Amino acid sequence: MPLRPRRSSPALLCLIAAGALALPSVPLSAQTAPADKVTESIGRVFGPDLTIDSVLVDSTEVFRISKEGTLLGFAEVRNVRGKERPITYLVAVDTAGATRDIDILVYRESQGGEIANEAWRKQFRGKSAADPLQVGKDIRNISGATISSNAVTRSMRQALTELAAWRAEGRLP
Amino acid sequence: MRPLLPTAILALWAAVPLAAQQAGQMEEERTSLGGYGEVHFQNASGPNTPGIVSVARFVVFLSHQFNDRIAVRSELEVENTKVEGGKDGGEVALEQLYLDYMLSPAFILRAGLVLAPVGILNETHEPPTFNGVERPAFDHDVIPTTWREIGVGVVGTIPGKSGFGYRLYLLNGLLASGFSAEEGIRSGRQEGKEASFANPSLTGRLEWTRPGLRIGGSFWYGGSANQNPALGTGPFDNAVSLLSADARYERGPFSFRGVVATIGIADAEEINAAYGGQVGSRIAGGYVEGAYDVLSALAPASTQRLDAFVRHERFNTQAGVPAGVTRDDALARRITTFGLAYKPLYNVVFKGDYQLRRNKAGAGQDQLFSLGVGYQF
Repeated sequence: MPLRPRRSSPALLCLIAAGALALPSVPLSAQTAPADKVTESIGRVFGPDLTIDSVLVDSTEVFRISKEGTLLGFAEVRNVRGKERPITYLVAVDTAGATRDIDILVYRESQGGEIANEAWRKQFRGKSAADPLQVGKDIRNISGATISSNAVTRSMRQALTELAAWRAEGRLP
Repeated sequence: MRPLLPTAILALWAAVPLAAQQAGQMEEERTSLGGYGEVHFQNASGPNTPGIVSVARFVVFLSHQFNDRIAVRSELEVENTKVEGGKDGGEVALEQLYLDYMLSPAFILRAGLVLAPVGILNETHEPPTFNGVERPAFDHDVIPTTWREIGVGVVGTIPGKSGFGYRLYLLNGLLASGFSAEEGIRSGRQEGKEASFANPSLTGRLEWTRPGLRIGGSFWYGGSANQNPALGTGPFDNAVSLLSADARYERGPFSFRGVVATIGIADAEEINAAYGGQVGSRIAGGYVEGAYDVLSALAPASTQRLDAFVRHERFNTQAGVPAGVTRDDALARRITTFGLAYKPLYNVVFKGDYQLRRNKAGAGQDQLFSLGVGYQF
């Protein structure tokens, strides 16, 4: 299913407005990242005019991102439990398995939202499965957001290892 | 507008990626359970001071996310194991109980029993997050942790690169009848128990965060007269004003933190006349702490930590005194703590420390040896 980044349509804005006024009847994104947010995030990392295909590896959906026939990399939406709620984030890697960027798509906790700041997220850029990815070693903690910092870092370690393995096995062509 | 809506819903439905749907199935649990706890052994020097062991705190955290925007969060605490009718002992208390209504991450409405956003420890007090078995004495006698009151407010983080976050609450006030020379405003807290709202208070905090760094400034302003005719019946009579600043910094094996606070009680003289105390007109002090992860040198590959720390606290609950009060130099406290914190995981800690409890008068000084275990999840 190819998806292309698009501008918010008036219809979508209308829906958002309606959603804000009638909250209980719009439960659709309660536990997930809205589709447009995922697309927007991929566009932010890889640039405009992308072709985004979806590849299923086991039961995980990985987005395969290319531009004018050239493969740029892969992206995946992941959830990891923070103190009490799942943190939904996007990890984007290049064709060599190095992190292009991460994006916090939905943060639901009462404390620790600072991990969504670019200053913290950008520490992951260039990291691959070969890096330690340990808070206090190659990733700096945010005091007062220790649980969130550790949760996302741990989940990233797992994500990069998985993506590298799938790539090596030829499951992400 | 109306005809557009069904189209929009269809369009969005079709565009929801599989990953999002799967994540949705994975994350059905909306109610979550967490908690923290700490068990202490403490032995003060001097005659007739045997060691004491106690389950200092056992706290259960329960939250529920009703939908995307609305959540309730609570913390129920048992201190010192048990409460028995007519006997000295522990305490069962709600530490927090509030509803959050998120309009956006930058603007979350909050109502209920909330933590005063003052200093470091009051909001972040899980045992693995601070060094020392017992919380710093400053966070008992100056900033009275765990300080919680009832009210409404807004909290949020400013989106983008700024790294700013804030909290602003309108809460019930303190009660001047509880103020004391030794513990300042501590027993003036109402803690959500049939609290008087005669004196509303404003409190807030602005924070700036970078990786490894968090700097914050907090304030509290509100009356404390509680309509005692001798003190005044206005909402801001017997005003208490607090200003505080704090910083936490981590770099590699090093971590540092520090807090300062000053509390002004303008009408301390009237309070002392009404209740017979020796309440200071100004309470002030702070502490600095530095720690080094010894394991980073001994076992660089290890992901565990063994933090050796030293902390120095200086505070005085009679930094200023009103007419009629003679300053007691024993209240000018200087406490130095040396200790170790072993963390096999970031959320589990084994602690040990030794405290030199001094004061300007040199009276009643002692040493305190403590051991403890703590966790959070």
